[in-house]
Amino acid sequence: MSDESEIRKENMISQIMNSPQPLPRRVPDYMRKKGGIWYWTGAMVMFAFFYEVITGLVLLFFYQPSNPFGSSEALVYNVPFGSIMLSTHLYGAYVMIALVYIHLLRNYFVGAYKKPREMQWITGVLLLVLTLGAAFFGYTMDGDVLAKAATSIGSTIAAGTPYIGNAVNAIFFGNGTALSLYSRLLGWHIVMVLLIGVLFAVHFFMAEYNTIMPRGKDVNYRAPAVDTDKPEYKPWYPHNLAFMMELFFIVVAAIVLIPSVFALWPSIPVVFSPFPASPTVIANTPPWFLLFVYKELDFNFASTLLNPFWDTVLFVGAPLLYLLIIPYLDRSSSLMLSDRWIFVALGVTGVVYLVGLSTWAFVYGVLQPTMIVPNYQVAIFFFVPAVLIFLFTYLVRNSIHLNKLKLKRPEVLFTIVGLMGFFSVVSGILIYESYVLHDAYALPGMAAMLTITAILAVISVAIILGIFNPGYSGDTVLATPKTRIIAASMFGALSLFIAIEVSFIKPDSPTNNAYYGIGLAMILLAVAGIIRIYRGESLGE
Amino acid sequence: MDLGDKKDIKNDTKSEVREPSVKDSGRRSFIKMMGVLAVGAGLAVSLRGLVQSIIPASVGVTSFPDLTLVDQSGNPITTDSLKVNDYTIVLFNYPLQNEPNFLLRLGDANGNDVEIPSITVHNPDGSSFTSPGGKGPYKSVVASSAICEHLGCTPPNIRFYPPTMTGPFAGKIHCDCHGSTYDPYKGFQVVTGPTVLALPNVVMTYDNGNYKVSNMVGPTIHGHPTDLTGGNPLSSTTSTAIYTLS
Repeated sequence: MSDESEIRKENMISQIMNSPQPLPRRVPDYMRKKGGIWYWTGAMVMFAFFYEVITGLVLLFFYQPSNPFGSSEALVYNVPFGSIMLSTHLYGAYVMIALVYIHLLRNYFVGAYKKPREMQWITGVLLLVLTLGAAFFGYTMDGDVLAKAATSIGSTIAAGTPYIGNAVNAIFFGNGTALSLYSRLLGWHIVMVLLIGVLFAVHFFMAEYNTIMPRGKDVNYRAPAVDTDKPEYKPWYPHNLAFMMELFFIVVAAIVLIPSVFALWPSIPVVFSPFPASPTVIANTPPWFLLFVYKELDFNFASTLLNPFWDTVLFVGAPLLYLLIIPYLDRSSSLMLSDRWIFVALGVTGVVYLVGLSTWAFVYGVLQPTMIVPNYQVAIFFFVPAVLIFLFTYLVRNSIHLNKLKLKRPEVLFTIVGLMGFFSVVSGILIYESYVLHDAYALPGMAAMLTITAILAVISVAIILGIFNPGYSGDTVLATPKTRIIAASMFGALSLFIAIEVSFIKPDSPTNNAYYGIGLAMILLAVAGIIRIYRGESLGE
Repeated sequence: MDLGDKKDIKNDTKSEVREPSVKDSGRRSFIKMMGVLAVGAGLAVSLRGLVQSIIPASVGVTSFPDLTLVDQSGNPITTDSLKVNDYTIVLFNYPLQNEPNFLLRLGDANGNDVEIPSITVHNPDGSSFTSPGGKGPYKSVVASSAICEHLGCTPPNIRFYPPTMTGPFAGKIHCDCHGSTYDPYKGFQVVTGPTVLALPNVVMTYDNGNYKVSNMVGPTIHGHPTDLTGGNPLSSTTSTAIYTLS
């Protein structure tokens, strides 16, 4: 270890290839304790990615580019468990995208892009682009109403490329015939996923090379933050393996559970529906993760001054460029949020823009026929939140510097506030569903979402006031061996019982499959629970 | 790397000494540079091949066909079979399979045919063209591309709202995707953006009670390099059938 700093001066490739570290590296114990999940957001993206690859390979057997909508419908209605396969592939992608955003934001706010992880950060931003690309080419493949709108918009953007527009359009979307379109969507979907796989491997090896980003207090909140292997670190196997398996089962359970529950909700908005939209549906909005692009296209100044290609360059390219160069903008060695307040404010503003544009697009896409957005509205939307956030961040930063305010774990607060924003948006949508569309199913959902929002609001206020201080200390206890045995046997019996129960369900309709999926998710959660108990009993964690 | 090896072997045979090239870093960088150059040349050649091979061959037709509008059973349509101010979307494909067009018989708020004059249509982007005007016994039948010129949305997202309806879009063609609105009474010109182009007009003729389509005027049909390319030709060379969406 003594000559490690010297080795580090050599380039990364020679270090990884010629003097490999134990792979994967051993990691500090706090990563497997309460709050340690924030160190595993990348691992969770990886789990979702694996799930996508496996289900995607199965779907490949059924997909016909000559009959995209028909073959998707046949898979949903005629193939046993086909609807689970298709809907969880869709929601696996949603979960992966959401986790990618969470991974990105977490690393943004802790300053993980700083030395020595600049290149690792940049590959991460490229992985975000590839993930959204793969998602676009994936959801357009089924040829439903949403897909058709999306391909026409995508091809308009591509065709607007200066000088080579027609060629770019033809490369991605074919020569205008349906067969060439869907063959290419399939091809590009797989190419994008392959590129994700390759770049992910690079990203992963860089992460191993740079070590995990240790918690701030261990490195005095200074970059370069590097973790050095200490003798007391537990071996990777079984400690990390057990922990990761627990996480894996939770991620897969979520991927199976969410679309199965949504499949039972008859009046679910078409952008959240786990199945291809029926051809009679009028759907003019893209899925949630592209809503922000959709909204930008009807800003007045954007449509009169620019074409859709330059719109996209401006509104998607500019934030991406910012993310790519942030390691070279924020060059200070401090990892303290209060020292980096400008970048914190920019990050929060970005999140507000993303969520705000998406919500705006969703509400207006459904509520009323969309109209062009006047420039003054655009100006209000972009300037007012930015000014408020910068002001607020500046004031908080001053209070911290004057020791008036102490935030022990500010990223927890940010996350909670972010989640609160998300849930309040969802409850807003459900309020609309419930009171304007008179959708009976939306009412309980709305109540639940509002409750969650309220709880999160209380927690965030409690954190700010210092009443509640989430941290890493304090081990979770499944106290006595006796309780562990009882809990484990309950989980075991539960999974056996559910397995027997769902084996009676005939897999002949999406509804039945949804019940099956819910059962499967419960079993996966039980497995995660048993692993947790095992870790407590056998590994003392 | 290959280059470096060869150079070394050459050295070997000539001077019988295999010197590691550390001594002369200039020589080493030169060999490296040549290597990069060769790899670059190889990449450029392969990339060109790759790009050219993945651009699909263009499909389409070479000139605008003259086609009679027929119904689903193949009989030429008559003026009576078209309803004035019909909210039902009536479409036909022309000049290619993936180029749907609206067929409208326009009327006033009382449901009487309105004569549609030929006018010069000015687009917000500065271009202009002359619309063909209405055809038929009342000069009230018009047709235009049904693909929104903004981002290519198709019916039912884009549709005609007859003047007999109420609301801001009565008498207009409105696209739900991003709010573009067109006026079919005035050569399908732009009423509100975000679109900056009118809908391409279909040139029709009315002869012996039959409607024929023979050309398109105005902007290029959205999503197509030209009106005549970017899709499969129609199956018939004499007629194109109308169909409806509710």
